[in-house]
Amino acid sequence: MTGALVDDLVASLARRKASAQVMPAAEAARAAARAMADAGVARAVLADDPLMGDLGLPDALRREGIEALLWPTPLNRREMLGLEGPEDSCGVTVPRMAVAERGTVVLEASPGHGRGIDVTNRHHVALLPAGRIVATLAEALARTFADGHPVPSAVSLVSGPSRSSDIEKISTLGAHGALSEHVVIIT
Amino acid sequence: MSTRRRKASGGVAYPDARGTLRERTVQALADGTLRGNLETAAASWGESRDAMRRDHGLDAMRDRARDIRRRNIRELPALLSEMQAKVREAGGTVVRAQDGAEAARYVTGLARARGVTVVAKSKSMATEEIKLNESLTDAGIEVVETDLGEWILQLAGERPSHIIAPAVHLNRGQVATLFREEAGTDDVPDDREGLVAHARVRLREKFAQAGMGVSGVNLGVASTGTVCIVENEGNARLVTSQPRIHVAVMGMERVVADWDEAAHILQVLPMAAIGQDAANYVNLITGPRREGEADGPEEFHLVIVDGGRGALRGTEFEEALSCIRCGACLYSCPMWKSVGGQAYGSPYSGPIGAVITPLLEGPASPTSRDLPFMSSLCGACGEACPVGIPLQDLLVRARARASSPATRRSAIVFRAWSRLWRRPTTYRAWMAGWRLMLRARGKGGWVTRLPGPGAGWTQVRDMPSRWPPRP
Ligand code: SF4
Repeated sequence: MTGALVDDLVASLARRKASAQVMPAAEAARAAARAMADAGVARAVLADDPLMGDLGLPDALRREGIEALLWPTPLNRREMLGLEGPEDSCGVTVPRMAVAERGTVVLEASPGHGRGIDVTNRHHVALLPAGRIVATLAEALARTFADGHPVPSAVSLVSGPSRSSDIEKISTLGAHGALSEHVVIIT
Repeated sequence: MSTRRRKASGGVAYPDARGTLRERTVQALADGTLRGNLETAAASWGESRDAMRRDHGLDAMRDRARDIRRRNIRELPALLSEMQAKVREAGGTVVRAQDGAEAARYVTGLARARGVTVVAKSKSMATEEIKLNESLTDAGIEVVETDLGEWILQLAGERPSHIIAPAVHLNRGQVATLFREEAGTDDVPDDREGLVAHARVRLREKFAQAGMGVSGVNLGVASTGTVCIVENEGNARLVTSQPRIHVAVMGMERVVADWDEAAHILQVLPMAAIGQDAANYVNLITGPRREGEADGPEEFHLVIVDGGRGALRGTEFEEALSCIRCGACLYSCPMWKSVGGQAYGSPYSGPIGAVITPLLEGPASPTSRDLPFMSSLCGACGEACPVGIPLQDLLVRARARASSPATRRSAIVFRAWSRLWRRPTTYRAWMAGWRLMLRARGKGGWVTRLPGPGAGWTQVRDMPSRWPPRP
C-alpha cells in the first residue's frame, strides 16, 4: 500500500518539476545534505521538528560546510528574504502529509514550523516520512481540518517549485518562492 | 513607481475607461500584436485544459461542482454568519462592506491608523473591483502589485486583461523595456528566466518594507473560518506571511460550507484555470499567527464585499454568483480572444464579465449597459464553465434587461407590428400597401432603395418589385 503511494508521489512530483529520493532513515540526512551541497546551498533554515535531530540533519549539514539555523532563526526580515547574507539558502520542512496523486506536500504552521520557511529561501527540501502519504487531496484536507484537531493558523499546499507563466504564458521556475524543491521520502 | 490613477467610486466598471465600448473594441481589433498574443495564450490554455479533460475527468467533476456552488448561494446568509463567527474565534476581524467604496475606506483607514507606508498586494479581482489601489494611493500610501503579471501591468499603467493571467497581451521585449524603466538601468536581462529573477529581487525589496499585505480570496470555508488563496508564484504566501497585517478581501459569494466541498472546488479550479491538476501554492489561512509562532501577520482582517451581489440572489441571474473566477469562459470566447479584456472596461471581462458587470453596476450605468452584447452567443463559454453556469442564457437575459432607449423604442415598434400582422384584414391591407410601394419605387423589376428602416436592408442587396420577379 505505502509502496504504491510512494511510487505515485515520486511520479507526480516529477510532473511538478520537483525532485524526489526514497531513503531509509539512516541515510536520509546525508542524502539531503548532499543534495543541498550540490545545489550550492550555503545556509539552511530548519523547521524545529524532532525529526531533524532523529535523522541527524544538523550534523550532516555541518559536515558539508552548510550553516544550519533552527526555526525560529535570529535573522531579520531582509536576511530572511535573501536580500542580505547568502543568496543560496534552503528551507527544510517536515510536511504533515503529502498527496500522492498530485505531488503536493502539506505544511502546517506552528511555533516550530514557520509558514514562510519554504518560500523565503531559494531552495526547498522536504523531509517526509513515507507513512504520511495519502492518496487524495480530499483525504489530506479532511485530516488536516478534522473535528477535534485544532485548526492550524496556516496550512500550505505546496506542489513543486514556484513558477510564473505571466511572461508569454510560458512556465518559468523560481518566481517568488523556491527555485527548486526536493522531497526526501523516508522509509 | 507609476500607479494607475482613477477616482474612487462605488461602481465596478472603470469610470474613466477610454472611449465607448465600440471604440475600444475597434481599437483592440486593429492591434495585431495583441491579437497574436491572445491567440497564443488561448491556444496553449486549450491544449492543457483538454489534457485535464482526458486524463483527470474534468468534465465529470462539473455536476458536483455545480451542485455545491448552487447550494452555497442558496445558503449564503447562514454560511457567511458561520464564516464570520469562525474567523472571529480564530482571533481575526471581519468587516461586511455594502459596496466597494465602503470596503476601500475600511482598508485605507486601517492602513492609515497603523502607520503603513507600503502595501504589498497579491492578485485579486475583488480589490480591483473596489478600486483599492486608488484609495490607498490617494491617502499617500504606496501600493505594489507583487504578482508578476500584475506588477508588469502596474508598471505599464494598464489594467488586467484577464482574470487569471493579467499580462498575456505583452511580449518579452515589452516587459524588458518596462523593467528597465522601473529599475532606471539598462542592466536588465532579455530572457524569460532573467526577467523573472530580476522581478523577484525588486519585489523582495518591497516585501521587506511592506507594513500591510492585501490578498483576495478564492474560497472561504465556513466550517473553520479559513480563507483559501490559490497561486503559482509564491507571492501570495509572502503577502500573507511577511507584513505585520494581512487584509483579505472576499466577494460575498466565494464561500463553501466545509472541507469536503472545498476539496472538490480546489481541484476543479486549477484544472479549468490553467489546465493543471494542482496550483503550486494553496494557502489556507485561519486568523492571525498564534501565540508562540515566529512569522505570519499579527492582525488578520477579512473584508466581505456585497457590492450588489446579495441583490442577485433569488433573481434570474442568481447562477452567476456560482462563478469561481477561473477564466475558462474568457479563453473559450471568440470575442474575448479577438479583443482581450481591456476593451470591456471592467475588471471582469469575457462572458462572465459581460453578465456580471452590468448587474453589479445597475441597469442605468452607461459604462456597462452594452456589455451583454459582446458575445456571438455561440455557447462556448457555457460549455467551458467548470461549475455549469449557463452563460449564454444569462447573456440573453442580460440583453433583455439592458433597456437602452434604442431598444425600448424598437420594443414599441415590434409590438405595433405584431398587432398589425396578427389579424388577416390588417395584414392584407399592409401587404397591399407594400406591393403598391414596391411597384412605385421599382425600376426594371428591382427596388434598389427602400425607405425608412428598410434602407439598411437594401444597402447591400436589391428587392424584387414583384414576386416572382418579371423583367
Ligand atoms: S463563469 Fe464559469 S468559466 Fe467563467 S470564470 Fe466563472 S466559473 Fe470560470
